[in-house]
Amino acid sequence: MRKFWLVAGDEYRNMTRQRSFIWSTVGLPLLIAAITVIGTLIATGAGQAITLGYVDQAGVILTVAATEEEDVRFRGFADQATARASLEAGEIQAYYVLPADYRQTGQAQMVYDRNTPTERNRQRFDAFLRTNLAADQPPAVRDRITDGVNLILRSADGRRELTEDGWMNIVLPFIAGMFFTFATMMAAGYLLQAVTTEKENRTVEVMATSLSPLDLVGGKAVGLMAVALTQLLIWIAALVVGLVIAARFWPEVAAVRVPWGLLGVTALYFLPTYALVAGVMVAIGGMVTETQQGQQISGIANLLFLVPLFLIPLIFSQPDSPLMVALTIFPTTAFLMIVMRWGATVVPVWQLAVSWVLLVATAGLSVWAAARIFRIGMLRYGQPLDLRAAWRAVTR
Amino acid sequence: MSEPTVSLTGLCKSFGPVKAVTDVSFEVYPAEIFGLLGPNGAGKTTTIRMMLDIYRPDRGQIAVFGGRLDEAKKDRIGYLPEERGLYKDLKLEPTLVYLATLKGLDEATARKRLTGWLQRLDLWDHRHKKIQDLSRGMQQKAQIIATLIHEPDLIVVDEPFSGLDPVNTRLVMGIIEEQRQAGRTIIMSTHQMYQVEALCNRIVLINRGRSVLYGKVDEIKRNFAGNAVVVTGQGDFSQVAGALEARRENGAWHLALAPGVSSQDIFRALALRDDVKVERFEIAEPSLDDIFVSVVQGAGAGEAGNA
Repeated sequence: MRKFWLVAGDEYRNMTRQRSFIWSTVGLPLLIAAITVIGTLIATGAGQAITLGYVDQAGVILTVAATEEEDVRFRGFADQATARASLEAGEIQAYYVLPADYRQTGQAQMVYDRNTPTERNRQRFDAFLRTNLAADQPPAVRDRITDGVNLILRSADGRRELTEDGWMNIVLPFIAGMFFTFATMMAAGYLLQAVTTEKENRTVEVMATSLSPLDLVGGKAVGLMAVALTQLLIWIAALVVGLVIAARFWPEVAAVRVPWGLLGVTALYFLPTYALVAGVMVAIGGMVTETQQGQQISGIANLLFLVPLFLIPLIFSQPDSPLMVALTIFPTTAFLMIVMRWGATVVPVWQLAVSWVLLVATAGLSVWAAARIFRIGMLRYGQPLDLRAAWRAVTR
Repeated sequence: MSEPTVSLTGLCKSFGPVKAVTDVSFEVYPAEIFGLLGPNGAGKTTTIRMMLDIYRPDRGQIAVFGGRLDEAKKDRIGYLPEERGLYKDLKLEPTLVYLATLKGLDEATARKRLTGWLQRLDLWDHRHKKIQDLSRGMQQKAQIIATLIHEPDLIVVDEPFSGLDPVNTRLVMGIIEEQRQAGRTIIMSTHQMYQVEALCNRIVLINRGRSVLYGKVDEIKRNFAGNAVVVTGQGDFSQVAGALEARRENGAWHLALAPGVSSQDIFRALALRDDVKVERFEIAEPSLDDIFVSVVQGAGAGEAGNA
């Protein structure tokens, strides 16, 4: 095992020191940071306190204290002319007109100059208005009117619960699934590169007489998976920090709950999926003569794993259709399908069990076949191994 | 004689319809440099790969260090393959340290030994360079270091002098001889016969997948004495009946004889020709080169004759 870990450590060091790795690892957190900052600035009106005016012809606004906030202020005007003059003078960003029959019709107008108030600031005015409308009610009733209905959707078996403001809990599994799938594909891509580079550099024979095929291929696979996980951890850390910051400004983000079930499924599926992809990549690496050739073929092979990405609308609209179930059970698409369906439906336990068993069996077969193809193909310098020869290598 | 380090008996290996090795047998002992010779495509590299468990033989017995080659024994082997290279985009020193640790050395020992080797082979100043930035000769020397740094008991080198200038060739020849004196077993495959003559104690000649010549170099040369003649004179001696090959060396013609042809037959053939005048005729001690040509071309001529 000493040599296994030597190979793994060497692969890890060499890969993480590459400029391309450093850029791609740092690039995503920078992107998340940029999105968070820009989004926060937009949500908070670029950090400046704004004032919204109102002309209350219906006489519904009695107090402002309950909803007055530091970054959004509300100012009453006696008539529209005064309000417009204030708008034109830049003292307010917009003003609302509540006509005399507002209580009967619920119709109101908002007049703005250059920029409409943000969604968040409009919601503040709505809350302000509701508070005033219910000001004469008992406190419990007033709070109920202000907060509205907090609807919780719960599946019959109790495995799944969704709150109204928890739409992020649907999107998050999808994002997590994408992350893990890309990490898997990335690690497998690194592995393909490592195997073909070994061939291109003519180092295979020296390696074969220094360590066992398991130490060589297994060490590389583990080292490169560690590379992918390192990258993933950095990305997840950046994402979590981004979510924590965003939660202060968006209630939807604050409603995000740790999806422990999904994390468990991810832990169960990640390794066998990686083993399956790694086996495919090692087999391709054993068959081709150049890295570029391997990347072209692996691009086609990758499609087998990424099919669910092309079916996103169907996954959300018909998550339990026969096609979705079939793809959940099919080994190459199982992982991505399950994490994507996780946010949209309750994946039955039998589907999880069948797909996991099939995935593990296929992954074992893939690694076994890859080792045989690699052993035959590794010494064919400048000569690719055709499909027939690869099949012979596997079946003999 | 001590126990052989390597013992191969009746090895056979086919790749589909192609028979790469049909019957190869030899033994190699400690403290000897053993020449593995043969024309291109004879089966030398396949034999080495079977010996080192890279290929499995279809038939035959292989014993390395007295038994089957297992993972522990791999640390006792240094191998410089014919198809060789190093990780081009990595730096020289860490690459050699890594390869040494894969052969069982700890990093500190590897670094300590590497310092001496890099200085000796004039690579010290290049240790921080990427391998792709080194010349072919430097890369070759680096691979020789990777082969020897862990002080292996069995050293297998396939064309160890390719890419080296005469100075470095001499340096590497000296290193190989040193290893022999240290009691190590060396198997050397090369086409450069003068190096085989200079270094090897014993040889095996493989032709068309079979061992066709096997034994001590001086005994083989004695057995083949009379299979070549040296002729000086006037005229063109390049085409002489019974001679497999004719070449000019220092003003004399060196004629390698076909199997079954004696020096007397050549003498008679020359006496019958009017276009040449013989001034000196003597039986030559054949070089390994002559023996190689005689055996390889003779086998070809024999098969053509039988066909």
